[in-house]
Amino acid sequence: MFRLMRNVHLALGVGFFFVALLFAFSSIVLIYRPWFPSSSERSHATAQLERGLDARAAALALMRSGMAEGELRNIRESEGKLRFLIWRPGTQADTVYAPETGEATLDTRRYNFYETLVQLHVNHGFFHDFMPANLWALLSLGVSVGLLLLGASGIYLWYRHPKERRIGTALIALGFAVPAVALFATRLSGG
Amino acid sequence: MYAGLLTFTAFVVWGVTGIHAVFLPAPGTEGEPATTAVREIPWRAPGNLDDKTLSVAAVEVSGLRAVGRPVLHRRDAGQNLTFAVFGPNGRSDLTYLESAGKLRVEIKGNSFADFLSVSHAGSTRRGPPEWGARVWGVYNEFANWAFLLMTLSGIYLWLATRPKIVWAWATFGLTAILIAALWWGTR
Repeated sequence: MFRLMRNVHLALGVGFFFVALLFAFSSIVLIYRPWFPSSSERSHATAQLERGLDARAAALALMRSGMAEGELRNIRESEGKLRFLIWRPGTQADTVYAPETGEATLDTRRYNFYETLVQLHVNHGFFHDFMPANLWALLSLGVSVGLLLLGASGIYLWYRHPKERRIGTALIALGFAVPAVALFATRLSGG
Repeated sequence: MYAGLLTFTAFVVWGVTGIHAVFLPAPGTEGEPATTAVREIPWRAPGNLDDKTLSVAAVEVSGLRAVGRPVLHRRDAGQNLTFAVFGPNGRSDLTYLESAGKLRVEIKGNSFADFLSVSHAGSTRRGPPEWGARVWGVYNEFANWAFLLMTLSGIYLWLATRPKIVWAWATFGLTAILIAALWWGTR
């Protein structure tokens, strides 16, 4: 059993190393934002599309022409024009399409490495039209389950070292009691 | 090992949050959170306060705890000042009914899973000022650093103690290729 758990712990660790590193580092970026400033490269483009399209058709036409790639978000209409975002982790195209003339203007921002990591960190769910975003979400789910299994297997491996049980028990107790009481107090204070 | 034992609780919170995130609604489809409690408190604000200062005073009177600063200031149909506060336990909308001399507090409490989801982002630089949130913020931030160090030291321990395991190298290499391909396909 010890050998199995040790291999499980190793397999989870090497298997999720890169995704775990993404989450660990992006968490640091999120906490210490001023140290890791967000920036983006901006570019502008215009396209002539068919007239009279709705937002979905206009976005699809832009994607098929290679001018943008991602999923459609935030459709809104103002002053006779359609505005929407074509988004994927790290890149966003703010698009304005005029159905009357068929003209579309894209203001594309390509975010830097830190901001892309943050967007991957918060990316979730399998509802994305952009398939890679679903795959990143699947990796997030995997590493979340992996964290729980790493923790459980790690505790087993610790327990199988009798000399470490005393100090380990103290650390587990401290590492549970303090945050649990803090969370409990916060939960009770709500409302 | 010691870092893992000490930060085990954070791992559980993060793991539950990540699994719960699968079921969160898509951006733009969230809808309004349901109101879980409403109360009205007789209160007249001191004179000559601007909206922002008044909202801070109103939050103190409201009895709400573990919430951030007032945001989303606006006027309702009756021109009453209304604003929101957010915290780990959800959102509350406050309306100062100036003519009636009352403060209306609409609490939109969240589920325990949502509470953990909000809490998983707690740190020393973020979160309500109450002692529970502060202690959790310190612990969570420490756990973040420990997680980063364990991720890196874990690879070191593998290479230092069991470097000849073929399946480990295959797993590591395969995931490296997959992540690189996915990053390239995303960017």
